Amino acid sequence: MTMEAVKTFKTWRARLTLFLAVVGPGFITANVDNDAGGIWTYSVAGAQFGYTLLWAMIPTTIALVVVQEMASRMGAVTGKGLSDLIREEFGFRVTFFLMVALVVTNFGNIMAEFAGVASSLQLFGISRYIVVPLAAAAVWLLVVQGTYNTVEKIFLVASGFYVCYIVAGVLAHPDWKAATFALVTTPETSGIRNYGYLYMLIGLVGTTIAPWMQFYLQASVVEKGVTARQYSASRWDVIVGCLFAAVVAWFIIVACAATLHSAGITTVRDAADAAQALRPLAGRYAYLLFAAGLFNASLFAASILPISTSYAVCEGLGLESGLDKKFHEAPAFYWLYTLLIVAGAGVLLVPSFPLIHIMVLSQVVNGVVLPFVLIFMLLLTNDRELMGEHINSRGFNIVAWVTVVVMIGLTIAMLAFRR
Amino acid sequence: MSIVALSELLGATVRDASGTARGRVREIAVTPQDHPTRIAFLIVRTPAGERILRPDSVKSCGGATVRATTDAIAWEPYNVSDGMLLLKRDLLDQQIIDVHGRKVVRVNDVEIDATPINSHVTLAVLAVDVGARGAIRRLAKGVVPSFTLRALLEKIPPRVIPWQYVDLIETDPARRVKLKIAYEGLSKMHPADIADIVEDLPPAEQKAVFEALDEEVAAEALEEIDPDVQVSIVESLPSERAADIVEEMDPDAAADLLGELPEDFSGEILKEMEPEERQEVTQLLEFGERTAAGRMTTEFVAVDENGVVDDAIEALKTFEGSREAVATIYLTGPGHRLVGAVPLVKIAISSPAAQLSLLSEPYNACSPDTPDDEVAAIFDKYNLVTLAVVDAQGRLAGIITADDVISMLRHRK
Repeated sequence: MTMEAVKTFKTWRARLTLFLAVVGPGFITANVDNDAGGIWTYSVAGAQFGYTLLWAMIPTTIALVVVQEMASRMGAVTGKGLSDLIREEFGFRVTFFLMVALVVTNFGNIMAEFAGVASSLQLFGISRYIVVPLAAAAVWLLVVQGTYNTVEKIFLVASGFYVCYIVAGVLAHPDWKAATFALVTTPETSGIRNYGYLYMLIGLVGTTIAPWMQFYLQASVVEKGVTARQYSASRWDVIVGCLFAAVVAWFIIVACAATLHSAGITTVRDAADAAQALRPLAGRYAYLLFAAGLFNASLFAASILPISTSYAVCEGLGLESGLDKKFHEAPAFYWLYTLLIVAGAGVLLVPSFPLIHIMVLSQVVNGVVLPFVLIFMLLLTNDRELMGEHINSRGFNIVAWVTVVVMIGLTIAMLAFRR
Repeated sequence: MSIVALSELLGATVRDASGTARGRVREIAVTPQDHPTRIAFLIVRTPAGERILRPDSVKSCGGATVRATTDAIAWEPYNVSDGMLLLKRDLLDQQIIDVHGRKVVRVNDVEIDATPINSHVTLAVLAVDVGARGAIRRLAKGVVPSFTLRALLEKIPPRVIPWQYVDLIETDPARRVKLKIAYEGLSKMHPADIADIVEDLPPAEQKAVFEALDEEVAAEALEEIDPDVQVSIVESLPSERAADIVEEMDPDAAADLLGELPEDFSGEILKEMEPEERQEVTQLLEFGERTAAGRMTTEFVAVDENGVVDDAIEALKTFEGSREAVATIYLTGPGHRLVGAVPLVKIAISSPAAQLSLLSEPYNACSPDTPDDEVAAIFDKYNLVTLAVVDAQGRLAGIITADDVISMLRHRK
């Protein structure tokens, strides 16, 4: 190679590395966000409430962008994970209880992912008693053996399936006027003062802005070695990822509203029902498309959630962690990881386990826990000693604090209207 | 002597000579410039402001109460200064380097030795607690009655690191000097262990360690670090400091590193380097990275073909390159042409006057453009420790050592 060629090769490679380094975390997190819990929550929301929950998508998206940007900025500026920072700034006891909450919440999500795997293959008549243990073993090995990094690209490409919802949403000939109108108008207060509606609303926010995403995103940004200097590119990665996730979510709701709700199907009993939303695109093969997409989304998130939870917890509590360590060197880390998978998959083997109910419930729990994680993120991103010139702008603080207040308010309201 | 935990002292009620509660302990300070382990004073938060309470006016501490021998009036006001190590802020919940265990750990609690002497106590930092005992103590503090808690904690096996095996990580260079943090423990470790530890640290802390380490130690450790991390560390350093470290590295490792850096920055480093080292490295930089020339080092032992064993030993004495490179002594003829090779073992077992050319053994050599795969194949086939690289004129350009081949093969995976 001539010097000139070496030079071109190097700049080309540098650009590609930069691209992969910064396009990665935000976009991947946003994609994993539309996991089993996400698809089901959006589907159930669309079927049950038609277009009347769509208005929540714009504020939720704004909050999503703000929150995700805070997490990745913190990662880039401090080079530390979220649980590390919480431990260093708020001490052991606070971290401990937050980690307990995180494990409980994430456990719900892990259950939801395996429920997603089960329900997707149910469409082919494969029993969950076979599918779930196999999926659990596959996930465990995939991550521990280190093959995950290769498979991640396959998952990511397969996430292109979400585009199907956009196409299906369009082909379903939804009432565009009503859908757009619903995006900017809130329903009457009588509609909001309803337990079921609030439950779904919290689930919707909880699935879009899940607590685990903040820990995962910040950790990925740190791992990719994004620094404060390269951060501006990273910010765009986050914003684009969030917008993509939100558009997909919006179309899932619209597709379900246009096909299920308008046809009078307001409860989604199983995957076959939910698959109907893709009928305008794939006709009688809709179930195939739905099954493949849901399977991929579930397995993708199932391989991320347990390991990211184990890392967050062990780092926060100061326990030895890392896949480069042997089992006996990092016992807590491996045990937690293994238990999350075994228990998360195990409960699905209980006969007549309410798959869909649990999947939506786990997202509601996300929504209830979210404000507490957010409070810590807000305190950290406003700490000048920690963030230097990169502390939150006033606009970000307003959006994030409003999110905290609204989510706590919604939770209280939901509990108040419960009968 | 009795041991008190930092978490017990923090928040403890402070009573003055009359027994009246005057405030609570907020912080505990060590001033390393006066004494490395002894506690200089407690910072007490009182209604009248923050006050300093020195151990020589403390009668006893423990059981969530600190009793002073003086009146609150006599306690001086506290003024912030950065020459103090504040145990809560700087140590509790922070990461430290466990020199003995060779890893980065998080501090759950700090054990303080309280020894009564003539009606007062001396307090000194004894060890940091990184195990379950400290964790549970902090979790249960104020919730479980203290005597029950003490009994419970007795049953938990302690996991502590004695203070002399603790290296603190401080990112502010000025404070590092004032606190006398020199990474003494860290620099005595094997470079590969230092590398493992550094890879576990966040970027600012990595930079801090590499600013403070001795250049030679830093260079050896840097060679062992993952290439991506290498680049980010070197980029974070001022070019002058980076050049000092790069100079100490093996030329081939230095060339690999500079090849990965952005061009303007590697140029800056080269500019700061000594002319001799710079020349060696630039030569290597010009070769393709994945060829024999890119892998080779230009630091090897070469002796004139007419020399004797004693000459070889003299050459070894002045040799500054890596230890892997001395496994073979190369013999060169006119124009620096490679003519022979003598294994180190033969030098060791032969008499000082023995003619080197007679000890020479059949040797292998490859050309600078030999690709990686072929280099590895030659090493495998002939069970080599070093391989000579000769140019078109038969001149010895450099040598490749087996450790480079092993890391090349591993990183390709």
